[in-house]
Amino acid sequence: MSSAIVARSAFNNRLATTFARRSLRPLSQQVIARYASSETAYVPGGPIYRGTVNDPTTFPPPNRSHGSHHWAFERLLCAALVPLTGAAFVVSGSAYPVLDGLLGVSLVMHSHIGFDGLLVDYVHPRKFPTIGPISTWALRATTVAVLVGVYQFNTNDVAGLTEFIAKVWAA
Amino acid sequence: MQSLVALSASSSFRSAGIRSFASSAARAQAVPTEKPVLSKEFKIYRWNPDEPATKPTLQSYTIDLNQCGPMILDALIKIKNEIDPTLTFRRSCREGICGSCAMNINGQNTLACLCRIDRETPKDTKIYPLPSLYVVKDLVPDLTLFYKQYKSIEPYLKNDNPPADREFLQSPEDRRKLDGMYECILCACCSSSCPSYWWNQDEYLGPATLMAAYRWMADSRDTYTAQRREKMQNTMSMYRCHTIFNCSRTCPKGLNPAQAIAKMKLELASE
Repeated sequence: MSSAIVARSAFNNRLATTFARRSLRPLSQQVIARYASSETAYVPGGPIYRGTVNDPTTFPPPNRSHGSHHWAFERLLCAALVPLTGAAFVVSGSAYPVLDGLLGVSLVMHSHIGFDGLLVDYVHPRKFPTIGPISTWALRATTVAVLVGVYQFNTNDVAGLTEFIAKVWAA
Repeated sequence: MQSLVALSASSSFRSAGIRSFASSAARAQAVPTEKPVLSKEFKIYRWNPDEPATKPTLQSYTIDLNQCGPMILDALIKIKNEIDPTLTFRRSCREGICGSCAMNINGQNTLACLCRIDRETPKDTKIYPLPSLYVVKDLVPDLTLFYKQYKSIEPYLKNDNPPADREFLQSPEDRRKLDGMYECILCACCSSSCPSYWWNQDEYLGPATLMAAYRWMADSRDTYTAQRREKMQNTMSMYRCHTIFNCSRTCPKGLNPAQAIAKMKLELASE
């Protein structure tokens, strides 16, 4: 019994010193400490929210190249691919190398934006701090490699992308 | 004059009396018709936070539909009253205006009070809480994040120069722009049906909040449209919408959040 009381008083003492130390810090720091303590650390998508239940969620800093410009570019690219593909079917690619090159570049960009959307949705760096950046840079490297490959193919190999598809189609 | 009133009153009393006598005589002769028992099985998601180690289960309840109201909410209340008082769900208005009883019924997010019980097929009806949200208990999801997000878009009129002597005036055309958006009751059926919201709900606002955001952008009385648009200029808040249309498909109020988001994207791109 007495040992329990001693233990409790020791605990109380420790508690008191903790409180004393805590009250020495400025109030704002205390608030931050309460929200950012190890028990209530924010988990992306997890059960622990940023701030109290009455705080609104926050927005990332605005950036048009990630927002409306990105969206408009992506939509215009999608729309432009329809006539581009149609034109490549109608005319010969070797006669219009600009068309061939344009089709090659816009197809690769279109797929890059699509794959990038996948990565942002499913392996975002905030949830996957290792795999996220690795896959983003792998995608960038792949896109550059494919662009170089398409360029080589269009200039050195069987007279362009469209010609090649036509040949495979006929074979 | 007074006698005339008295006469008409007494005649109406008499006619009422005759009718009541006649009907009571018929009722005395009628054989009470017993409705046949129409059993229906309901399988309901159960999880108790007091026993966190126990996995969530589907518990089965069978009730007689002929002793029950027509809606899923009636069945839930009947089960809670008569079979299992521990069954937990939110409900309030029972007429589709409060949004409390949003749940996943037979794979569709909807309001239990607006969803009819399927009497034709003998198959069971499965009831789950709204998907992708943390469960508080049984059919009660945690909507804290949903409300925090709704708060973040400042869902109220912002205007630095209100008219001094009278209320805000609005043309009928401008008022019509808000139709189909102001009716949202924030039941969270659409947001919790959106796959993009499932994966990124901590950053992506979700259809309900985005439609509310556009409702204030489209309001002719609000002067903070540019600032409201500026908030959406990032990868996560709005542009995680991939026009999947689950929101418009599931909305129990028949609203179209996907259209509101599409209009917002177009306005942001063309400003």
